[in-house]
Amino acid sequence: MSPAPRRSTLALVTLIGLLTLGGCAAGQESGTVTLVFKYARILGNADPLPGLLRQFEAAHPGVRVQGEALPWTSDDQHQFYVINLEGRSPGFDVMMLDCIWVPEFARAGWLLDLTGQLAPDELAPFFPSAVASATFDGRVWALPWNFNVGLLYYRTDLLAKYGLRPPDTFEELIEQVRRIRAAERDPALDGYVWQGKQYEGLVVNVLEAFWAGGTTLMAEDGTVFPDPTRAADALALLRSLITSGVSPAWTTAADEELSRRAFGDGHAIFLRNWPYAMDLFEGRGSAVRGKVAFTAVLGRAHGARGVGSTGGAHLGVSRRSRHPELALALARHLTSEPAQRAIALGAALSPTRQALYQDPEIVRDHPAMPQLQQLALAGRPRPVVPYYQLLSATVQPEFSAALVGVKRPERAIADASKRLGFFLQAVR
Amino acid sequence: MTGREAADRRRALVCVAPTVVALGTLTVYPGIWVIWLSLQRRVPIFDVSRFAGLENYAFLMVDPRFWSSVRTTAVFTVGSVALEVVLGVAAALAIHTQQRGRRVSISLLLLAWAMPAVVGAKLFEWLYHPAAGLLNVLLGGHRINWLGDPALALPALILADVWRTMPFVAILCYARLLAIPADVYEAAQVDGAGRLATLTRITLPLLGRILLLAVLFRTLDALRAFDIMFVLTGGGPAGTTETLTVYAYRALFQMLQLGFGSAVSVVVFALVMAVAWAYLRLLRAGTVAA
Repeated sequence: MSPAPRRSTLALVTLIGLLTLGGCAAGQESGTVTLVFKYARILGNADPLPGLLRQFEAAHPGVRVQGEALPWTSDDQHQFYVINLEGRSPGFDVMMLDCIWVPEFARAGWLLDLTGQLAPDELAPFFPSAVASATFDGRVWALPWNFNVGLLYYRTDLLAKYGLRPPDTFEELIEQVRRIRAAERDPALDGYVWQGKQYEGLVVNVLEAFWAGGTTLMAEDGTVFPDPTRAADALALLRSLITSGVSPAWTTAADEELSRRAFGDGHAIFLRNWPYAMDLFEGRGSAVRGKVAFTAVLGRAHGARGVGSTGGAHLGVSRRSRHPELALALARHLTSEPAQRAIALGAALSPTRQALYQDPEIVRDHPAMPQLQQLALAGRPRPVVPYYQLLSATVQPEFSAALVGVKRPERAIADASKRLGFFLQAVR
Repeated sequence: MTGREAADRRRALVCVAPTVVALGTLTVYPGIWVIWLSLQRRVPIFDVSRFAGLENYAFLMVDPRFWSSVRTTAVFTVGSVALEVVLGVAAALAIHTQQRGRRVSISLLLLAWAMPAVVGAKLFEWLYHPAAGLLNVLLGGHRINWLGDPALALPALILADVWRTMPFVAILCYARLLAIPADVYEAAQVDGAGRLATLTRITLPLLGRILLLAVLFRTLDALRAFDIMFVLTGGGPAGTTETLTVYAYRALFQMLQLGFGSAVSVVVFALVMAVAWAYLRLLRAGTVAA
């Protein structure tokens, strides 16, 4: 859209506004700039965000920041952005983005290219893989805000009781689950709980199993399922966890919260989840308080070591923002070290700045932070491609079909490849 | 006479014009636009926009995920509408024969109906919870995997939908029952008709048309069902609860395949139109017969 018609639309809207409001409009302070910040509500007992936004306002006289909550689920947030950005709505300036959307939104021309605005070493303090997922086509499109990596949680009390070390591989875990359950004789105690519902979380769990088995979903050159045999083998392994009873049958309907609750209630020995769960396990009134630790996700006995999938949120600036400099300043403020410290202390979100993992104040509250940093450094992002959503939405039902046993793993992989072929030929 | 007729016709046209314009801009124009989109390969963020003819439809014909969603939509529609009709009529008859507590029963029915679909779905998420769900506790502590078993997930969704929309059928039928004059039943009693005969020969035939109307509304709703599967299963496990509208949503808003997603939407549209047309013919035939 050229600027001329937009200005005239704006004039028209202003005129109508003035006509309807009459004298009231004159009451508005002239020179006040309003920045709109779109974000998902932060879980936790003390939401630090309002305070951080007021801080920014105090440092920038004449600027008002309006925080607007996004819909609750990631799917709805994505839909909200797509409709508004494709509709060229200038309704917001700074937006919180799931890291998997950055290449897509950058490719669509919805994000401001921040590369030229950043100091040469400005991104050095962040996790390299967080920066990698904010980068597309050699340019930086967002600032990393919070960081996630897949972890294996385990019950320290149960493992100690039977003299076991936390497992490094699927094979060890299966053995330990058999031993502990045989001795405990508790029908309500499940072995290993993870995310097997047909949604994004399933893709993450399968990816980690792919990596452990020495393959991946998409090779560097863009080939999908570069090694279908190993991919099918990984799916077969996940399926066997359910059929053998190492994982409960309801794993096929489990998302993060369902599995987190089962483990948090003391009904499971192992859990794959994100760092946020630790704070809840250590919270007052938790059934597993003081009995939980985490380690790297599972590897394979004759394969690779376990590497957790990374995730997290970035802050991007809308290309349609009328105040791009101020919007970038706000994104910088929210991703700064003091702001991330406040968020790490007040809410269950992990910082993207590495120094904070050694910060005495944070480590006092969260003693496992240095260990988390090591696992986060080893973490690996999901494919950083603009058509990630397409990839994920296509493989989800196929992975789920292999998991519940309605398709053989080889068949599920083949069907997913065929469908991706049809969609990808148009966009690559 | 002819002059007056012409004036009448003009006035009628003026009166009907706002409706035609409103329907045209709000329904026909977007409808045609979607059909046009469905003939294209269009992925805006990749600058892909080219005419593709029937390519999208050709892919749909051989797309197992599409046929699976057609099957799911059909099973969901037939299953939920059939159960709703049986239970709805039963509930209406029960309320009608009851002397006391009618108001309370109707209020309770309306409560389920008035609840937003997403809230109802969340409610069932807890009922179906594998470990702590009320349903499994009531069934004696079995850990039935309601939403994660490919054989159970769709029936579980049908049940949730029936709970929410059965009241609609019940209330319509109850209203019709109130309008049946008492002397019809008295006459039947005098003629020696038993309870069963009264039900099958008088009540049900008199309910016929309103029931057909209720079924029409419910079928059209069920064909477009979205919220309940979106919230409870996301279309899983193994895509067994993915209806056509969920598939269209994924193609449009997640994969951003506007052309392909529109093709799925056009199929939904055609399906809904065909069913509506068939029902309306049935309704008209019923009028002639009566």
